[in-house]
Amino acid sequence: MENLKERIAQLEDHIMKKCLWQFHSRAWDRKDQNENILKKATQLLCDEPVELETPLDRCYWADALSLTDSFQSRYEWLAAMSKEDIKLLMQGLKERIDFVTITGSLNAELTDPRY
Amino acid sequence: MPYHEFECSKCIPERKRHAVIKGPGEDLTHALPLGYLNTIPGSISERGCAYCGAKHVIGTPMKDVIHLSHGPTGCTYDTWQTKRYISDNDNFQLKYTFASDVKEKHIVFGAEKVLKQNIIEAFKAFPVIKRMTIYQTCATALIGDDVDAIADEVMEEMPEVDIFVCNSPGFAGPSQSGGHHKINIAWIKKKVGTVEPKITSDYVINYVGEYNIQGDQEVMLDYFKRMGVQVLSTFTGNGSYDELRAMHRAHLNVLECARSAEYICNELKVKYGIPRLDIEGFGFEPLSSSLRKIGLFFGIEERAQAIIDEETARWKPELDWYKERLKGKKVCLWPGGSKLWHWAHVIHEEMGVEVVSVYTKFGHQGDMEKGIARCEEGALAVDDPNELEGLEAMMTLKPDVIFTGKRPGEVAKKIRVPYLNAHAYHNGPYKGYEGWVRFARDIYNAIYSPIHQLAHLDISKDEIPVDKGFQTAKMISDVKLSGEIVTSKTLRQYTGKYDSVSDLRKKTYPEFKKSERSE
Repeated sequence: MENLKERIAQLEDHIMKKCLWQFHSRAWDRKDQNENILKKATQLLCDEPVELETPLDRCYWADALSLTDSFQSRYEWLAAMSKEDIKLLMQGLKERIDFVTITGSLNAELTDPRY
Repeated sequence: MPYHEFECSKCIPERKRHAVIKGPGEDLTHALPLGYLNTIPGSISERGCAYCGAKHVIGTPMKDVIHLSHGPTGCTYDTWQTKRYISDNDNFQLKYTFASDVKEKHIVFGAEKVLKQNIIEAFKAFPVIKRMTIYQTCATALIGDDVDAIADEVMEEMPEVDIFVCNSPGFAGPSQSGGHHKINIAWIKKKVGTVEPKITSDYVINYVGEYNIQGDQEVMLDYFKRMGVQVLSTFTGNGSYDELRAMHRAHLNVLECARSAEYICNELKVKYGIPRLDIEGFGFEPLSSSLRKIGLFFGIEERAQAIIDEETARWKPELDWYKERLKGKKVCLWPGGSKLWHWAHVIHEEMGVEVVSVYTKFGHQGDMEKGIARCEEGALAVDDPNELEGLEAMMTLKPDVIFTGKRPGEVAKKIRVPYLNAHAYHNGPYKGYEGWVRFARDIYNAIYSPIHQLAHLDISKDEIPVDKGFQTAKMISDVKLSGEIVTSKTLRQYTGKYDSVSDLRKKTYPEFKKSERSE
């Protein structure tokens, strides 16, 4: 469990330092971004088909693929993980990113109903 | 993440919640400075006003437009020569500035008549220009001038012209950021969708939140054109008024400065379903990743990769020359808004400098989230600092250089801290691979300037050495480097031209055939 936590922390640090998609300005956008990009990233890491029907899908996928490429080149331990473990890892990562950027965020503008 | 109270601001206790120090093992949920609030009375802010944010930051970079301030001539002061958003039409928007010259008598009797006279006079003086933006100012907003009605009257009388009215007087927000918001929303409501563009590529983007500071936009456009991507509009640097009316036809919005322009991207997504992709033009890795993502979106990633490989091979050895000499240097990253997070991590990773403080004059809490997430532990993060806080931070943190605007920059010089202009740049452009090396060179020159070394001596008390000759920057910077680095045949100083932009305007690009389905 400690190992999983540590690995999630490494991935979180990477996202927070290198990515911008998780910091859209409103809570509903952040929820969409986290949900779709991390879902597609999980599918990519698990060699599952990824939906690319709409322009929005393609945009999420471009961010997801960029993320998984970085994960795979930086974190060698990822290659040794089973598909089930990767899903568990990505689920934990999603919960953590949601917490830091949405549910635990101190940003008072997240709930402003207008852009 | 404890809040930080400046000694100089103990008399303004509300200021305490505007600064934090990033502590070990802490994240954004522990503490976040307040942001985008009215400046606290008693604190002398470095901010601009909402009119400035609308006009000087976002509106005026549009190049083929008469930009007219409806107010006193003083409100236009920031235009001439103090902004560096150049354009490829001989800098029309920088060379000419317009105001309706409102005086005291107009405050009493109204200024609508003088506004109309000025609009017509300006169009007659520049008959080639058929587009105008008008900016409300504090005085004319307070007396209730109906600028929209005057603009409509003129457009009826002169059907060949088009006018955009921006109602963002100086008091319409806590800072310039209020003006960014107002002009974003006004533009999409009033102008987007009123022109149908000619689509020439299968891959069409709007380049949003880019202001062509010293040519940044033109550098990025070069990459997009090499990829065969049509840039329908740039919001707004070097951008054209009518192209920006056609933003609704893009396939993708590529966003750089989210602080000033995410509003229009979000609205374009809601109204027209155009996705928003946040990208970064600064730094080798973020830029490469951004080009790759655009390539992936359109299915042309190999074109992006070719550019990344070519540019990296050309410029990386030069970046690394500077990195060796900048390692460990302490930096205060004190820009206005988005560079806080665009630069916070990548200057540490790619130039080796240590960011000891980040601040933002007009950023929101979202900008602080990004900036704090990206900087290293121990950094001091400050929202809307006043001059005394800036001085206290510099005295305490002892940075080797600060990146900020020209007003706080001059203050820094007085206490012998060199500064680089983070807003308008010293010798930009800073975007792109070559631009990033130019930035590294400017940092190097700021820190190791022989003149700056002399500034450390106070002739009123220090003993002036007479046994030493003049030292060059290289003599100073290379003292502690290994022989291997100093004599390296791979690493080299910047070898680009003084002007890295003009040649781009003459460049020709490969033609990529457009498929019939998107005709």
